[in-house]
Amino acid sequence: MKLEIGNIFIKDIQFAAEAKVADGVLYVDKAALEKVVLEDETIKSVSFDIAKPGESVRITPVKDVIEPRVKVEGPGGIFPGIIAKVDTVGSGKTHVLKGMAVVTAGKIVGFQEGVIDMSGPGAKYTPFSETLNLVMVCEPVEGLKQHDYEKAVRLAGFRVAVALGELGRDVTPDETKVYETCGMKEGIEKYPNLPRVAYVQMLQSQGLLHDTYVYGVDAKKTLSTILWPTETMDGAIVSGNCVSACDKNPTYVHENNPVVEDLFAQHGKTLNFVCQIITNENVYLADKQRSSDWTAKMCRLLDLDGVIVSQEGFGNPDTDLIMNCKKIEAQGVKTVIITDEYAGRDGKSQSLADADPAADAVVTGGNANEVIVLPKMDKVIGTLDYVNKIAGASAETLQPDGSLVVELQVITGATNETGFIKLSAR
Amino acid sequence: MTGGYILTNNPLVTERLGPDVPVEYLQCSYKSLLEAARDRIHLGARLLSHPLSGSVKPGETPYKSVILTKGKGDVDEQSLELIENAILACAKFQQRCDRYPPSVDLDCRLIDWTLLEGALASVIL
Repeated sequence: MKLEIGNIFIKDIQFAAEAKVADGVLYVDKAALEKVVLEDETIKSVSFDIAKPGESVRITPVKDVIEPRVKVEGPGGIFPGIIAKVDTVGSGKTHVLKGMAVVTAGKIVGFQEGVIDMSGPGAKYTPFSETLNLVMVCEPVEGLKQHDYEKAVRLAGFRVAVALGELGRDVTPDETKVYETCGMKEGIEKYPNLPRVAYVQMLQSQGLLHDTYVYGVDAKKTLSTILWPTETMDGAIVSGNCVSACDKNPTYVHENNPVVEDLFAQHGKTLNFVCQIITNENVYLADKQRSSDWTAKMCRLLDLDGVIVSQEGFGNPDTDLIMNCKKIEAQGVKTVIITDEYAGRDGKSQSLADADPAADAVVTGGNANEVIVLPKMDKVIGTLDYVNKIAGASAETLQPDGSLVVELQVITGATNETGFIKLSAR
Repeated sequence: MTGGYILTNNPLVTERLGPDVPVEYLQCSYKSLLEAARDRIHLGARLLSHPLSGSVKPGETPYKSVILTKGKGDVDEQSLELIENAILACAKFQQRCDRYPPSVDLDCRLIDWTLLEGALASVIL
């Protein structure tokens, strides 16, 4: 499976009467996008705003972050099973509006979170302080239930991203990257001396604001399965979760998964990147057993030498992580696991809710309980009304001078467990 | 799976489930609910759902629902480890849900319910 990614570098976003991409500038027709959002009758209104790196702007509560893409060659379309038909994606050619993102915001529940600061100390903790953000805040019609509101905002974000991606269809990319992996037999013949490595991605799948969708299917209703790693680059996996925003994968992270990216960078050199295995993180314990059994079984069936396992979330997924690790290791396949930590504000508590001696190679995204002071910003997109209730916040969160005292938990992507973060100990 | 029941301190759970689904409602805190589950595990019940379901952490929501078997007998080690770790985790988070206004309290009930609902999709009690 071979996919060409054509990156169109976006250097600025401006509102304009005509939507287009020209000379690296994305011109956004606000009225046209409004129509795209209001196709859904459960959305009463939408407002658009632009937030640029370095500005004194805070965006909250963030629901999702999405990168606009368009399929220009090959089967299927972006976000299969959701916006496009359900055809298998991941081959052909895809154009990307690189350097910008669609950020959806809106209060679905009262303790929701997700903060993106475009400048100041908080900006270092979120990768989305470096993207030009088109922020859309959707207001629901009166009486709309939270489930329906969540779905409406989720889908509106994808529709807008696809509409923007379409503007890049006929633009010549500034950079083209090629990603290709082989079938099983071909891979063994081509790279007989390289270790066979796969990526096991665990997907949050528990309930409202805790869900992920694969080709349109709620991940909690799926069995562990295999993807070509390029499928996710065309939006095969999308986010429906945002609670405890530090370690949830927005759709943007699925489209740009750094584990996939790094394994491709080593493919054919130090390892043979065999495939991506996706598995869920359900609440029901028998589901956990079944999913981790299946994941381990596939690792053996594929004759893997090693896997990288990434977690999504905290607590309940710690159990899935350790189950996966233990069972895969028991099949003779080496594991490296990527997680984050809830080690208390002082960092002295046990980091994970589960552990095992088999988990002897662990990468951490950081301690989500760590406290940070976010100074007042000149402008807030969204609302600070609920900021005292968000995860990692407290009654004292909003200080008289407008600053926020919060745990890293509230910052979108701060301790991301795919490694999609900018800070490291290196 | 038969012979299981839901142990909850969330009034929405009793409201949403029909009389055919066995539910035991306790008016208590999040941590006390976990401790009540632990006591039953010591008597031989097994956990059927994960006690740390959801990303709304202990201290951030007052509500918790877990699914247990009704069985009595030997202690299930895995269930005991899960519940003990969950109780330990309560200490890592700041207690603030007691200061929520009523609308946010209702949202907490709803999230706990949807997490339980996800688990119930896999089980017939």
